Amino acid sequence: MVTHHPDTRLLNEFASGSLPLAQSVAISVHLHFCDHCKRQVKALQDMGAQMFDTLEPAEVDDSLLDSVLNHLDDEAPLTYQSKASDVDSDESPVLVQRLMNGDYQDLQWSRINKALQIARLRTGDPKHEFALYHIKAGGSIPLHTHKGTELTLVLEGSFSDEEGVYQQGDFLMRDAEDQHTPTASKTADCICIGVLDAPIRFKPWNYRLLNPFLQLQAS
Amino acid sequence: MSELPPEDDPEMQAAQPSRTPGPNIQVNAEGKRDDEWSQCLQVIAQERDRAAFGRLFKHFAPLVKAFAMSGSPLAASHADELVQEVMLKVWQKADGYNPRKAAASTWIYTIARNCRTDMYRRLQKFDTPLAAEDIWVEQEEEEPFVAVQQRRNAARVREMLTQLPQEQAQILAKVYMEGKSHSEVAEDLQLPLGTVKSRVRLAMQKLQIMTDQR
Repeated sequence: MVTHHPDTRLLNEFASGSLPLAQSVAISVHLHFCDHCKRQVKALQDMGAQMFDTLEPAEVDDSLLDSVLNHLDDEAPLTYQSKASDVDSDESPVLVQRLMNGDYQDLQWSRINKALQIARLRTGDPKHEFALYHIKAGGSIPLHTHKGTELTLVLEGSFSDEEGVYQQGDFLMRDAEDQHTPTASKTADCICIGVLDAPIRFKPWNYRLLNPFLQLQAS
Repeated sequence: MSELPPEDDPEMQAAQPSRTPGPNIQVNAEGKRDDEWSQCLQVIAQERDRAAFGRLFKHFAPLVKAFAMSGSPLAASHADELVQEVMLKVWQKADGYNPRKAAASTWIYTIARNCRTDMYRRLQKFDTPLAAEDIWVEQEEEEPFVAVQQRRNAARVREMLTQLPQEQAQILAKVYMEGKSHSEVAEDLQLPLGTVKSRVRLAMQKLQIMTDQR
């Protein structure tokens, strides 16, 4: 059961469309697992619709209607809208599959240490890193700090840190000043989504050389 | 069943007495107004009725344009383009509209929001494999019981929204209509970010959304 949720600001910015792309993906994947937040977002959209409904109407030239009417018979562009897939199924959320262009094993994983591998995915968001973290059962992500915020969402398995235990679908946000050492459960590997708004820094110096984000920064 | 935890905030107490006048009446009043456009959308879907589309256009296009113009200056300068895009989508996707899931205006608002977001990213030359529709996934059909409950909640949210104090309503309008982040709103209004966040939280409590979340 999902017990850790995005806060009020994140859900409002998500529902209104002002949240950056990579962070919105993390929220969307959380909604895939969380009926509670799904209902909240629905309510927020109803709220947005109410504001939309009561806007002062802007003048629309009649030619615009004609132009739209002229295009009504155009063939609609093909869309492949992802449907919310079944939470019980073994598959990862459709949105993640689409970003991965396949499955976990198809990704280019960079090995950070014995317990941790990272695969970066391209969302097109110029200001945020979106990556998958694969932590071996019982392994930890080295102590690290980061600028800005770090969003984490558990896709598979579970992990714990100084403050709690996080299961599939759980969402957490950490600020720059938080230092933590996420550790996967002993029984299963853990795969999480991590969204950073600045490159991550691992504390021990030797990890810096291996840190893929630092290379990216240089390029 | 208690509705809200006791609060010391005077604003909250002031809002309390007004919140329970016959929810059924609200639903009916709201439902009736909405039904007109719901039916219109269904006629458009089933009969491909251009006259019905024309009526819908006359009502919603000016709202979509106003929505486009309240957004970022970049998107606002393409307001007519956005209106065309949104209204064409309404025509193309009308058969996907389900009146049990959403009011017509909610459905059209979400299309407008998606198109505005996509357009903004396009204009900024984002190279992304994702469209807004991939992120705001349409949810599966709810159980009829839940759907009824949700329509009732939607009516309540709409009703309560008109009763928010101006300082809270103003912030929500900036977030939803202008598409600004909380920090951008804080900058705009020269308020500390914490104040913006707490006003939004107060508004959420009144609307009974996310009452159990931070």
